[in-house]
Amino acid sequence: MTPSLDALCRHCLLPVSRRGFLRAVNGEACQFCCYGCCIAYQVKNGSGDASEAAWFLVRLGVGSFLSMNIMLFSLLVYSGAFSGADRSVLPTIHLLLWGLATPAVLILGQPFLRETWSQARRGRLTSSALIVLGSLAAYGYSTLAVFQRGGHLYFDTASMVLMLFTLGRYLEAAGRARASRDLAPLLAAERELATVLEGGQEQRRPVREVRAGMLIRVRPGERIPIDGLIVEGRSHCDDSVITGESREIAKAVGDAVLAGSINLDGPLLIQSSGSGGESRWAQICRSVGEALRQSSRTQRMADRLVGAFVPIVLALAAMTFLYWVPRLPLDQALLTALSVLVVACPCAVGLAAPMAHSLGIGQLARHGCLVRNPGALEALARARLIAFDKTGTLTAGRPQLVDIASDGVAEDEILARLAALERHSEHGLARAIASATSARGIDPIAAEDVQILPGRGVRGVVQGEAIVAGSAALMRELDWALPCALVERAEVMAASGHSVVFVGWRENALAGRVRAALSFDDTPLPEARATVGALRGLGLQVMLLSGDHAGAAARVAATVGADDWQAGLLPEAKRAALDQYRAHHGAVAMVGDGLNDGPGLAWADVGIAVGSGTDLARETADLVLPVDGLWLLPWVVARARAVRFTILANLAWAFGYNLVAMTCAVLGLLQPILAAAVMAGSSLLVVLNSLRLERLPGPYRPSVPEFATAARPGSEPGPTAQGRSGALALLEAES
Amino acid sequence: MTYYALLFIAGFAGSFHCIGMCGGFACALGPDGRGAGATSLRHVLYNTGRLSTYCFLGGLAGALGQVICTALGPGTQRATPLLSASLDFGQRALAVVAGLLMIIMALSFFGLRGGHRVSSGFAGSTLVVSLRSLLGRRGFATPLALGVLNGFLPCPLVYAMIAQSASTFDVLSGCLTMAAFGLGTFPAMLAMGGVGRLLAPSWRQRGVRLAGGFILLLGLVTLSRGIMPMMAGHGLHHLWHFA
Repeated sequence: MTPSLDALCRHCLLPVSRRGFLRAVNGEACQFCCYGCCIAYQVKNGSGDASEAAWFLVRLGVGSFLSMNIMLFSLLVYSGAFSGADRSVLPTIHLLLWGLATPAVLILGQPFLRETWSQARRGRLTSSALIVLGSLAAYGYSTLAVFQRGGHLYFDTASMVLMLFTLGRYLEAAGRARASRDLAPLLAAERELATVLEGGQEQRRPVREVRAGMLIRVRPGERIPIDGLIVEGRSHCDDSVITGESREIAKAVGDAVLAGSINLDGPLLIQSSGSGGESRWAQICRSVGEALRQSSRTQRMADRLVGAFVPIVLALAAMTFLYWVPRLPLDQALLTALSVLVVACPCAVGLAAPMAHSLGIGQLARHGCLVRNPGALEALARARLIAFDKTGTLTAGRPQLVDIASDGVAEDEILARLAALERHSEHGLARAIASATSARGIDPIAAEDVQILPGRGVRGVVQGEAIVAGSAALMRELDWALPCALVERAEVMAASGHSVVFVGWRENALAGRVRAALSFDDTPLPEARATVGALRGLGLQVMLLSGDHAGAAARVAATVGADDWQAGLLPEAKRAALDQYRAHHGAVAMVGDGLNDGPGLAWADVGIAVGSGTDLARETADLVLPVDGLWLLPWVVARARAVRFTILANLAWAFGYNLVAMTCAVLGLLQPILAAAVMAGSSLLVVLNSLRLERLPGPYRPSVPEFATAARPGSEPGPTAQGRSGALALLEAES
Repeated sequence: MTYYALLFIAGFAGSFHCIGMCGGFACALGPDGRGAGATSLRHVLYNTGRLSTYCFLGGLAGALGQVICTALGPGTQRATPLLSASLDFGQRALAVVAGLLMIIMALSFFGLRGGHRVSSGFAGSTLVVSLRSLLGRRGFATPLALGVLNGFLPCPLVYAMIAQSASTFDVLSGCLTMAAFGLGTFPAMLAMGGVGRLLAPSWRQRGVRLAGGFILLLGLVTLSRGIMPMMAGHGLHHLWHFA
């Protein structure tokens, strides 16, 4: 049984590397990255009596019992308790130590020996080879000494080294599982079972076998496995896995539920609205899984170093031995070489990056932010400049009526007629008109024969007269009179970045005439200013790279407080601008909406998509924030920096520690037992240091007064998706 | 001998505290299906495992104390303070530290400080989870392993005794210190296994107070060993041995 290399460890959710192996737990084949994880997983999930975990703990306990007694007697011998008159008992004590050490080495050394052997058959040397070699050498030498009645005994070394490493690995695995706690619900979709109701019978089936239209029963406390509609029951749901917001939402018959949310308090019967593998939850799971399987540059570097480490250490130990043999008694030289072997175990180096990554990815995911590869986190942490890909990223996508220029007709009359026409449109600008009308308390007039002219405007009949709203081109096409004064006013409006719509109608069966020009403006998001301010507070330069015309870009940039802006950029120009920034600022991050600006996001060192569409698989951004998640950006940057700092601290610690300890060992200043304690402690410290990431504060949502009132309905089209190609013709330049 | 008797009593009193955490394990270990003999063996093995961990920790602490003393102290000859009254600087420093630690632990028994929060952490919770998975298993290796691992559970009482062991500056004395303490916990823990019934909380509370009192006394004596002038220390030791 060999595990597939790109799988994730069942216990700690880190990628199963070359050390990994397969094991059946509770009748299910599970992959683990190491022996420690296998045991720790079984301790948590195994079923008491027969589980291998209990057997492991028994072995660890008995092994500890033996090695502690060995250590105690050895300490007594060293401290001179058996000197003088008691000297005669020494041979008996030695024999006793041998009797204790033999089972101890067998019991504790077996897993390491097995790992070494299975790796050696594949032609690889791992760090467990160092441990096995070290402890067996100590044991072998001491056994000889016992039966030849001479020399020092090192049974304590042999057994304590094994015990400390076993304990270290176990605790390390427990710590790694804790680091991946946040990730578990995000990876559960692939293994989740759904209770399918078919022909009055309930069946447990894998989620991927669920098809649209099937009935699924979800009990309170369970996770809802599929997207669907509630057919029966009422309950509260927690959607935090999908939306990132932990809130109880009341759901009743007819309401839609999301896969991945937790059904809190009532049984539900749900009709599936799509196949199980296509829900956003399943997509998130695949995406997170892929992210965990990838490794960042730092990690690849560390892995390469670890790979090269073992042979180097073996050579170094041999050289140390050869150097000391003529200068010290044989046993001392051997001991020094053993210290080198034991202290060089590079476990901590290999652990430095993956754990911090999985913690960071998990915490971001808990707030709805998806990281698509761990390298993106590191790049974001390095970035000193963040560019917004378009004005739309910072605006609400909800235009508002700003100004009306008319040739003498009352504004209220214009609005009343326009509102009549626009009631038939579901468009962004139509909504702006509707809200302006209702704000002024105008009653719209009834309109007939409303016809939408795609891409140009809308026409209809109000009070028996034809009325048209749309672009200047449409008016010219109809050959309606367009007063010069209005055109001039419209040009001024357009120059300051507003969208302009002309309105005209016939009167008394005369030729149509344009009566007014209305300007609309997309307002910046309420949280945009606070977000940009927070980003600048983090030492980032904030730029706006827009395809809009200069007026709009300048206005938005000034409102949100961006450092600089460039407007009217074509995609190639954006790339050139990014390259230029990169030359000056190092890594560059780019924020977009993820759909229309894929190439730009891909060109940046980190592409960040806010509120992306439903299809994650087509997503090109490295980091995906939830819908309305712009405010999370500063927190994400801070978190990425914390992760990077932790990794660097871990690496510095692990390497520094190894170097200092190895130097001491080569010089003969470090006892092997102390060396083993130092090494087991080193990886434990890396684990604990990474776990500190858990304590960082969650995102803080800036309280903007108009925020609650501005909550937009989820179904409203975004500014780019449909907003610019719909019913009303816009004079606005496309970005 | 008085010294070890005192430790034994401290252990005995302290075992009313043990019943809270470790007693649960002793109860859960429960009777063996093969009769009373097997049950006794099971519990003796469990307690032996616990004792061996304590002894190991005590010996280690004693060795550590010895190392620190030889590193700090100018004198090369090893002095066992229980037998001789000459204390050098390193021994005094260590005695002060150990004494203070014990007093802090003792105060936590009187509810003056939240010592429990500090001691239980990531490793502790991992250990408890591990121990639980051992409980269902049969065989005689299991109670031994359970006892050994149980001995490592974070416990202020054990910490206080380890501090005391370190202040003996000697492997054997440290080991014996912990052995006396551990044996003191035997009666209650064995009874727990046999009776399987928790003592009334009021009695446990009294026991815990008593244990705190003993540890406070030991801590004060240890502290005084460190700060008393040479002669007074000498006198105190005479007092100590005749008491």
